[in-house]
Amino acid sequence: MSYQRLLQQQTRLAASAFVVAPSLCRSSYIFNRRSFHGFRKYQEDPRWPGWQVIVGIETHAQIKSRRKLFSDAFNSNLDDEPNTHVVPFDAAFPGTLPKLNPKCVDLGLRTAVALKCDINRRSSFDRKHYFYSDLPSGYQITQQYSPLAMNGALQVTTAGGEPFTVRIKQIQLEQDTAKSTFNPRTRTSRIDLNRAGAGLMEIVSEPDMRSPEEAAGYVRTLQSILRAMGSSDGNMEQGSMRCDVNISVNRKGETPGTRCEIKNLNSVRFMMAAITHEVHRQIAFLAENPGEHVPQETRGFNEDTFTTFRLRSKEDAPDYRYMPDANLGVLVLSEARINEIKSTLPPLPHEVRERLLEKYPVLRDKARQASLDVLLVNNERVVGLDGEDAGGAIRWFDELCEGGRDPALVLNWLTQELMGQLASRKETLADNTLSVSQFGALVDMVASRTLTGTSGKFLLRHMLANPSQRPMKEIAEELELIALAPSTSSSPQLHALCTAAIAALPSEVAAVRAGNKNVLNKIVGHVMRASRGRADALVVRVLVEELVFEEKNA
Amino acid sequence: MRLNVARKWTKSLPLRHYSTRCDYRQVISEKNPSVNAFVNVSQRPSLPPSEDLPLSGLAIAIKDNIATKSLPTTCSSSMLRDFVSPFDATVVKLLEESGADIIGKTNCDEFGMGSLNVNTIHGPVKNPCNASRSQSEERSAGGSSGGSAAAVAAGMCDAALGTDTGGSIRLPASYCGVTGLKPSYGLISRWGVVSYADSLDCVGILASRADTVKRVFDSIAQHDNLDPTSAPLEIRSLASEHASSLLKSSSSILKDLRIGIPQEYFPEEISSEIVDHVRNVIAQLKSRGAIIVPVSLPTTEYALSSYYVLATAEASSNLARYDGVQYGTYVKSGLDTDKTKTAQIYAQSRTVGFGHEVQKRILLGTYALSADAFDNYFLQAQRIRQLIKDDFNRVFRIPNYFSDSPSQSEDLAGTVDVLLHPSAIRTAPLLEDARSDLSSYVQDVLTVPASLGGLPALSVPIPRPVEPNSTNSDSWPIGISIVGQWGTDDMVLSVGKALEGLNEN
Repeated sequence: MSYQRLLQQQTRLAASAFVVAPSLCRSSYIFNRRSFHGFRKYQEDPRWPGWQVIVGIETHAQIKSRRKLFSDAFNSNLDDEPNTHVVPFDAAFPGTLPKLNPKCVDLGLRTAVALKCDINRRSSFDRKHYFYSDLPSGYQITQQYSPLAMNGALQVTTAGGEPFTVRIKQIQLEQDTAKSTFNPRTRTSRIDLNRAGAGLMEIVSEPDMRSPEEAAGYVRTLQSILRAMGSSDGNMEQGSMRCDVNISVNRKGETPGTRCEIKNLNSVRFMMAAITHEVHRQIAFLAENPGEHVPQETRGFNEDTFTTFRLRSKEDAPDYRYMPDANLGVLVLSEARINEIKSTLPPLPHEVRERLLEKYPVLRDKARQASLDVLLVNNERVVGLDGEDAGGAIRWFDELCEGGRDPALVLNWLTQELMGQLASRKETLADNTLSVSQFGALVDMVASRTLTGTSGKFLLRHMLANPSQRPMKEIAEELELIALAPSTSSSPQLHALCTAAIAALPSEVAAVRAGNKNVLNKIVGHVMRASRGRADALVVRVLVEELVFEEKNA
Repeated sequence: MRLNVARKWTKSLPLRHYSTRCDYRQVISEKNPSVNAFVNVSQRPSLPPSEDLPLSGLAIAIKDNIATKSLPTTCSSSMLRDFVSPFDATVVKLLEESGADIIGKTNCDEFGMGSLNVNTIHGPVKNPCNASRSQSEERSAGGSSGGSAAAVAAGMCDAALGTDTGGSIRLPASYCGVTGLKPSYGLISRWGVVSYADSLDCVGILASRADTVKRVFDSIAQHDNLDPTSAPLEIRSLASEHASSLLKSSSSILKDLRIGIPQEYFPEEISSEIVDHVRNVIAQLKSRGAIIVPVSLPTTEYALSSYYVLATAEASSNLARYDGVQYGTYVKSGLDTDKTKTAQIYAQSRTVGFGHEVQKRILLGTYALSADAFDNYFLQAQRIRQLIKDDFNRVFRIPNYFSDSPSQSEDLAGTVDVLLHPSAIRTAPLLEDARSDLSSYVQDVLTVPASLGGLPALSVPIPRPVEPNSTNSDSWPIGISIVGQWGTDDMVLSVGKALEGLNEN
């Protein structure tokens, strides 16, 4: 494409050293003071007794659409070549105009419905201006004056804590920026426009959290909702979700303190550390400066020292010169479109959990909750790009159980083995070639002891590395994985292995005969190794014991 | 439907008249050195034009703020001195598909900002009318589409595209004695048109006759998916059908046509000579059966302030992208530059790349959008803009179908089909005087209201008896403007054609 060539020729590296990144979002987090009274009851925290911590979070989540928010360019992955997902609009070429991607609106609406927001039937887009190398047009298109949705609520459950509600102030659609990388040696910046103009949802909470743990709970719950809606991958480490956290402290019973904002936190762990450090810092300031307020600031987080540092004070806050975008006009949403979104809404994680527990009572076992969480929360792509149904782990689970398989076994093999191996291969259910029926056949062979667990895992790894449409049984036979004792009974092969082991380990056999049963494990281990995982340890143990004492008695 | 209309027009005109009458590239090489209308001329097409297309054989010039792949698009700015767009504007694509010969790019004020076409790296455009005058008497072609108007006036092309944000087609048309249409906002695609103020920018057409303007208009006034402000087909046909239903009964368009004369469009600065000529035209129209209705558009006096706040605010935003990084002029920062701030790096390129007028408007607009000024300037200007639209909607017989809630004027008795007023307060000023005073802004009083309203406005030269040996200023062209309700561009063009014919019968 001639444009690519042109861009390569025309893109220059601006020689400049950047001290701090400007904020991605406006710092207009307004505490609604009235709403504090009685909304959350004060609870003593042993880390800072006598102090109340108030936390609000602005989340930027990348919208999981095929194309960017206002251009036809495809969204990119982190490992794509720089500047390969760019059309002239993304590079702010003269004469280009934005065109709203309706898929992004739909995914924003899904999120709004899932977060119980009021949807604005008329919303609009505004330009937020600042000069920075990651912003080719000199402005970011966002929804300052009339956001997509407002006044929502999210029910948050934390481990060991009481469930609580976080009110959602608003959800707005906006553009992501480009990525600039500074090289301190050459004092140049490299600019990658792949991300420029990708769609973001900014989800702004009310200041309804009271501890680092509650903040973490909010973010995790929000992640699970975004993933279930297919509106974002919600992956903080990979940058598809980023959080700005507002924190204030006040003495018990007093009015809320002045907040500080910590920008661009990219993991839940860092967020909790940042809040903890910030709380201690603010308390220390108030103790040293009685009668004063904490200075209102925007702060960054140092990931090496786990401390926050000052980026700029309130006085240095830039004037973004918000202006309505004359090209995009008003986004009018019809009742029909909103109803369509509601009627096709994917199920929420807690709804799926309830359904699964209802249908498969065996999953109610406490020991299975961790696996169930993997299935529900760290779910594979249930929803694909642009909100399309992509099957995903829940559908796999349902289909696997439909054949009358043991749900507990299916859950274990799906979450621990298959999803575990996919994760280490950096693959997902959607892009691997193994079919539900192949995987079902594998689980069946394990259930009937045609395969041992070890062989099952080996076969799975083999299938992921060497995709094949042939029957699983055939492949298992070819790889000599079929268990030596397909049932609980013995087999000549297994018998031979055990006899050989007894012959090879005379002193151990003597010890067992002398009554030291622990040594039996050593003989069993010998057999297991010799079987290359095809033997069932329990069967082997019974058989070895039998043979040892048979010989003694003989 | 439009295509059929266009074909009909084509058949009624002698095609070869255009293609064989003269060799425009030859004319350009002869005349352009003294007029300075063209800044780039295209290669002669290797194939003879196909003759069955609506614009076959028509040589059309393009204002240099409209993107073309084959020729640079400089916007007359040092910032884009060597810029070649990677794509063609939709209008350029449509013209080519209709068989037109894109003959070259025309001079203009930098990014469309100016009324005299003197804010340009290519040097001022010289008004080609009465070309025999001495250098000290050279006159402005008007701006910002001065090159387009002058190219048509000097016979260097059949038609030219311009852009009009606050009068940038109508004023040069008036000064150069050609016909210039600023269409209804949203009828012609802006994809590929370098934005000055998105809510006001319109692509329009200049030609020596209304017929030619209409031919080109019919080919390029099409819905475009690439332009989010492009009017949907339903609304286009609602407006145009309503307009034609009012007019089809009579044989002459002027018979019983209700023409409003807005009293606010005769400010004290207007030259008496122009007022006399407009009066004369009105009398002739009346004699041909038109009904002349004095009307008032009371918010007009605030239009200029509203326009300059909104246009500069949008400009400050639209021109933020020129930082010299992705494209355009990049000026290396000096040793004393604070390189820790990106804005400081950009400032080097922007200081060198933008001319004085552009810098002035960016500063004004930046102020209007600042947190302290936004409510009192930008929002206030938007309110005035709405009042101006309300004024227009009150006087027109046809409702504004492009607005959120089109409503018919309650009292149709005093309403009109079109408005008529002088296009300019004076004839073309001397280039020597061009930079000296604020009159270039006052001039805009007559043109910005239609821009704020998004309405079609056509400037046609007032027909006057030819006085070959006249040396007094009377012989400089005077334009008269016809303004219609949104979407009634066809009606406005028909009235313009009738005006042209006043002296011919």
